Amino acid sequence: MSLKTSSENSSFLKGLFREYYFKDSNSLVTPSMIEKREFGYMSFDSIMVRHLSFRNKRELIARLVQESPSDVYCSNGYYKFPTNSVQSKEWEGADLIFDIDLKDLNMPCSSEHSFYVCDQCGACNVSFLNACTVCLGRKISRTTIPCRKCLISLKKETQRLIEFLHGDLGIADGSIEIFFSGNAGYHIHVPDSEFKTLDSRARSDLVDYICGNGIMNESIGVRKSKNGFYIKFPKSGMVFGWRRRVASEFGINQSSISKLKRIVESSGGYGQFKEDLSTKAKLIGVRIDPHVTTDIHRIFRMPGTINGKSSLLKVKSTNLETFNPLDSACVLDDRQVYIRSKVNLKLYLHENYFRIKNSIERLPAYAAAYMICKGLADFIK
Amino acid sequence: MNSIGLAIKLGPTDLAKYPFLEEASEYIRETRFAIEELDRPEMDHILRRSVDILETEISAGKVYTNLDKYEIEILSFLVTLIMIKSIDLEPVTKKHSLLEAMRTEKFLTEDLFKEKSLQKKKLLLHKIFQELFEIDIHFDLDLTIFRLSVPDYLMRASKMNEQEWKLINRSVHSGYVYIDTDEAVRLIRSELSNLIYDRIKTMKIPVVPERVKICAEELRKKFSIYCTYRKHHIVSDYPPCIKHAIEMMNTGENLPHSARVMLATYMLTIGKNTDEIVTMFQNSPDYNEKVTRYQIEHLAGNKGSRIKYSVPSCKRLLSEDLCFATVDCENILNPIQFGRKKANTQ
Repeated sequence: MSLKTSSENSSFLKGLFREYYFKDSNSLVTPSMIEKREFGYMSFDSIMVRHLSFRNKRELIARLVQESPSDVYCSNGYYKFPTNSVQSKEWEGADLIFDIDLKDLNMPCSSEHSFYVCDQCGACNVSFLNACTVCLGRKISRTTIPCRKCLISLKKETQRLIEFLHGDLGIADGSIEIFFSGNAGYHIHVPDSEFKTLDSRARSDLVDYICGNGIMNESIGVRKSKNGFYIKFPKSGMVFGWRRRVASEFGINQSSISKLKRIVESSGGYGQFKEDLSTKAKLIGVRIDPHVTTDIHRIFRMPGTINGKSSLLKVKSTNLETFNPLDSACVLDDRQVYIRSKVNLKLYLHENYFRIKNSIERLPAYAAAYMICKGLADFIK
Repeated sequence: MNSIGLAIKLGPTDLAKYPFLEEASEYIRETRFAIEELDRPEMDHILRRSVDILETEISAGKVYTNLDKYEIEILSFLVTLIMIKSIDLEPVTKKHSLLEAMRTEKFLTEDLFKEKSLQKKKLLLHKIFQELFEIDIHFDLDLTIFRLSVPDYLMRASKMNEQEWKLINRSVHSGYVYIDTDEAVRLIRSELSNLIYDRIKTMKIPVVPERVKICAEELRKKFSIYCTYRKHHIVSDYPPCIKHAIEMMNTGENLPHSARVMLATYMLTIGKNTDEIVTMFQNSPDYNEKVTRYQIEHLAGNKGSRIKYSVPSCKRLLSEDLCFATVDCENILNPIQFGRKKANTQ
């Protein structure tokens, strides 16, 4: 949890999270080869604990109930010695993982449901300020409540990624696991596949493929010459992968030499076309967080654990089309508690709509926890 | 590719071109050739050929392209390895391994292009790609396009510097990458080079024949001048990742692309000029001044995209296995902060 929380807030959330790990430990999705993974967690005091290892799910649950952390992480990598320092863990492989985050989608509606919370005193504003109006603190965090449009866009982006993984990379649908991150995104896992031994550099190339980075004119047949350019389509054709995507975008095929020539000329020649092609490719590409996929030593939010930024669960989606994260990921208790909200807000959670006012509110614990984790409310005993 | 159905065998000409294959070792065993025989005067032509190969490769920096009878080729391959082992100069071992791989690349590309028999082409692919390197590679319908799995491709192509090797510039479909003959062969250059290097390193020769020793000693004297590495001073204030890269360079190691980018961007950021940085890369086995200069100028933002590249972050270096952090690295996010942090505390 990044925003500053009072000890009352922490103690309320800690109690709720502990209860969840105690009662609903079956929701925890432990990874394959659990004994080879590195685990870590973030406490409610913002202390990161890493290099942990568990022999089985029972051991892990016992630790979670005991510590009741804000966030729980597990490595995508498998190691011979998971508790050693990174240099001496002896890496054996890593699951392929992808992160689609709302912040990377640059949604136009973002400002309508974003708030700015002072890290120092917790005061909240609806518009961005350089300094807090209450305590003059300069560390301001942005928090967002994803709206319906945001959640739909996230799904669409995830679906586009799945098309790349399935159609281009040949990864079977059954080998792709889709999780709602618990906050504002989706995590896509491809566990224990033939991609597992790829190093960071190879994964970086894969990221560029998915994002549409580094496409060359030559790969679609536009070649540089002394006098400008000429067209010669590649021998391996234009029907697969990015060549197919670009061909379809420009309405060309292997025999459209003169059409492509006209397109390049109207672009302004080889150099300008290169820029246009690069821009187009980035629009066609999927907006994933490159660092997540290329980092083979990352500890990543563990499926079935609570996200301290929202109090929602990182939960698996078996049917993305019908999946509603705000229902499926909302797993905390529904007993009534009091909070002091800092904002006016309409909130949908767990099949219920809440019209929250900037005052003291009585809410189910799951909605109260959501508001507190977002930094938009304080718990009242 | 399944070996079942490959009814034909490799012929003598194949063994001449690919003397590192198991079948060539079998030939040596079958002829009961003993290493001491190299001291016999009738073996002089083999010794002379091995010397010639090494002179072409090490002194001239060229691939030895002459192809002789298979008996001569197989023996020359073996004797050259023994000579290199006796010369015992690391740069010679590395350079020979690389140029021998490039020689194979030439023959294999020609064979895959010109060979009429599909069975024979399949056999070559099976012997070299699958048996040696466990790469499952297939012909496409028109026999000039190959397909291999995306992970097999990425593992190799991501180590190439040229942008054309990026996956996005390839034809990719249903888990396969489609490539031309010469590209398929180029992909395994580094593995072929490592294979030959390992053969030399693991070779055990109880007694080196006197005639081989004499040739090796002469070549050793001759090649020593090419093997004096320009030692680059390792400034004590360099961060450990940079020190490690320079140390590797000083011993003629072939630094991976990401390590070269790290080293060059770091040196540019601390104010070294292009000439100074170019000389740092002179010890690379694949050093080419023109290419190195262009790449450094590209990173500096003076060529190509005109984007000036920053030094990769510590996080990125860690994920690329280029981080060799010590206690002095605590609380830095980028290698460039290492020097500054030290200066601030002094």
